[in-house]
Amino acid sequence: MSAEAAVRMTGITKRFGAFTALEGVDLVVRNQTIHAVVGENGAGKTTLMKVLQGLHAADAGTLELDGKTVSFRRAEDAYRSGIGMVSQHYSIIPELTCLQNLMLGSEPGPLLDQSQAKERATRVASELGLSFDWDALAETLGPAGSQKLEILKLLWRESRIMILDEPTAMLSPADSDALYANLKGLVERGATVIVVTHRLPEVLEYCDDVTVLRGGKKIAAMATSETDAATLANLIVGRALDGPSDQTRPEPGEVVLELKGVRVLGDRGDEALRGVDLTVRAGEMVGLAGVDGSGQRELFRLLWGVARPVGGTLTLFGQDASNWSVRERIARGLRLVAEDRLHEGVVESWSLHLNGQLGFQRHPDREDSPQFTEELIQRFRTKARGIGDRIASLSGGNQQRFVVARALALDPELILAFQPTRGLDIAATEEIFAAMRAHCAAGAAALVVSFDLDDLIDHCDRVVAMNRGRIHTPAVELGRDRAELGRLMVTT
Amino acid sequence: MSGRLIALAFGIFVLIAAALVSTQVSPVTAGKLLFEGSLGSPERISQTLVLVTPLLIAGIAVFVALQAGLFNIGAEGQLLLGAMCGVVVAQKVPGFFGWVLGAIVGMAAGAAWAYPAVWIKVWRGGHEVISTIMLNNIALLLCGALVRGPLKGTQSESATTDPLPAGSMVPNLLQSGDLRINLALVVGLVLLFGVARFLLRSVGGFELRATGANPTAAAFAGVETKRVMVRAMLVSGALAGLAGAFQALAYEGRFYPDFSPGYGFDALGVALLAGSSPYGLLPAALVFGILSSGSALLTIEGVPKGIVGILLGLLIAFFAAVRYREVRSGG
Repeated sequence: MSAEAAVRMTGITKRFGAFTALEGVDLVVRNQTIHAVVGENGAGKTTLMKVLQGLHAADAGTLELDGKTVSFRRAEDAYRSGIGMVSQHYSIIPELTCLQNLMLGSEPGPLLDQSQAKERATRVASELGLSFDWDALAETLGPAGSQKLEILKLLWRESRIMILDEPTAMLSPADSDALYANLKGLVERGATVIVVTHRLPEVLEYCDDVTVLRGGKKIAAMATSETDAATLANLIVGRALDGPSDQTRPEPGEVVLELKGVRVLGDRGDEALRGVDLTVRAGEMVGLAGVDGSGQRELFRLLWGVARPVGGTLTLFGQDASNWSVRERIARGLRLVAEDRLHEGVVESWSLHLNGQLGFQRHPDREDSPQFTEELIQRFRTKARGIGDRIASLSGGNQQRFVVARALALDPELILAFQPTRGLDIAATEEIFAAMRAHCAAGAAALVVSFDLDDLIDHCDRVVAMNRGRIHTPAVELGRDRAELGRLMVTT
Repeated sequence: MSGRLIALAFGIFVLIAAALVSTQVSPVTAGKLLFEGSLGSPERISQTLVLVTPLLIAGIAVFVALQAGLFNIGAEGQLLLGAMCGVVVAQKVPGFFGWVLGAIVGMAAGAAWAYPAVWIKVWRGGHEVISTIMLNNIALLLCGALVRGPLKGTQSESATTDPLPAGSMVPNLLQSGDLRINLALVVGLVLLFGVARFLLRSVGGFELRATGANPTAAAFAGVETKRVMVRAMLVSGALAGLAGAFQALAYEGRFYPDFSPGYGFDALGVALLAGSSPYGLLPAALVFGILSSGSALLTIEGVPKGIVGILLGLLIAFFAAVRYREVRSGG
């Protein structure tokens, strides 16, 4: 182990407009180690990695590689310095062969010598004890195979410092173990690895050091041998404010939503929901905490009727609802604030007036009067000139105000809100949660997904944690306990 | 951006002028000829309307599919099949019921010819542009083979069906001197307003437009997008079939292989030129009809007929550029 750190980032600050994503962050990665960077969504992990890769220019701070100060103006500079990244969403192109994918972006010249390339590819792979059928199409690779190919791409480019973003997000436990064994091998051969992850067991078992980020600041950095899961979970979510709740918990009524052992397949055919149990009663506002990709998306698609379960039961208002159509759900009072507003929530080329009716077109109380749209606009003070404005001409925050107002229209019974306050300021956030609470007080129920645990703890009656396709419900008295929820979110 | 548009408009002007000057006819003369050739006399107006009728009805057909997010390039094939089946039925059934039944069967034939494309699209994920182009070729060759074989008229030397008895044809609503307005055109206009009302005022139309504009959001809003697409394509095929059947039953009075000069393809241009409003179909069909019909006189003066095709093509390109800009800038 050399004395100089492979990477030393000091006082990195990065602002996007008025928003400070990173504030004086330090990151020291010792040579030939596996270093974990952990934190909640929005803690600044990705931004920090982008600065390291030269994708973002830092507003302040310095970067040293092996003790030498460098400054990256472009991603290419970082690439030449031997920094490479495997992103969460693989960049493997299924229609190309494994060999073509391997070379993509770093072709040796205008002419490709396949046999020579194959020779080198085999040599690089064998260093890791891997073998590939280089002429097979990449679509034949599973998630684990794609990831191995991604790592080989870094070796092909002779990257020395490898960044892996959520490398085990799509891998089975066995494949995860194999991945880290490969990484250990790389480290022994001289590489330095930075892993961005949410999974604390992996951090403790395989990584040498860990840096904790929260709210764009470095909270702690230590050797993993000197810490444990509970301490890390606390550092990640912050100290609990643990005061007793000032909100009186409403007396929950009838069961509105009940899930028992629900299993759903994800996009890749793996089980995204692995036996989910959840009960939501009338009058309740339930928060669904968890890091991104824990199964929230698939759960909402299931509840909304655009995905079908492969096992378990879904009961709505006391009736088996697995076969209800989306239209039927809307008619019975289900409302959705969609995760992906532009794809799932609105028709961008349409006016506010038409978008306001979207979803209600066959609702028994459907209204297409201009007043209806006016009310939607006014409810959360959407800034628009009139109901004829194209929704695409509004800012993201104003679009969000409008779609949330729509989700609360025509007497909702069960509000499914995926990050309802995304991109909104504190005042609007408070207003929206207050409006949802008012509906709950009147007998509706709400299930709210947020990646900001504080938002949920501050506003919901109780919070459940989602982790790797399961929902963990804390004991009643710990329903709003930060430390307990943090533990449930990140430890398996 | 607006600079580019000016450049484009200027380019079109220069191109037309250059083309006309190269053939020794001044642009002003050419314009006059176009006008005289299409609207210069009652007889010429009547001939222009003969072209406007199928362009309008087939334009509606393409437009409906387009609003549901489907490119029905197959209008030509559906139109040919509609015309052939319509004629076959009208020959068997005499009088009023001849053309009524012929039109209905023509619609059914057009819808049937459109169905495979949307079936492949919805259930197998194949793009409708490819499948409708293929179906066009099959339709063209199939109709040709049938008219040369079993459907060939007993009295005719060339490949054509026997002419229909006058009583089995779609009647003229108005005939004063050389000015004739056929019932088919009026039906086309009624269809235009009916379809426009459906698209702009009904829940079904709302769901159809949502499916075309953002199928994912439509599905999340409870629209059964696959069913909507299938229906839209069937309606589109039926209307294209009707355009063909009417053309045969109202004007041509028989069916032969080169029956359509490409009404189904021009209908694509009509639907694109109409823009986002169904009411735009009427002026678009008129523009196409007038230019095509007027080009006959141009030919006599030695201007190649193709110049009108160039003009229409540039018109669509110009219009598409303007619309793209509007969509981009949120206007």
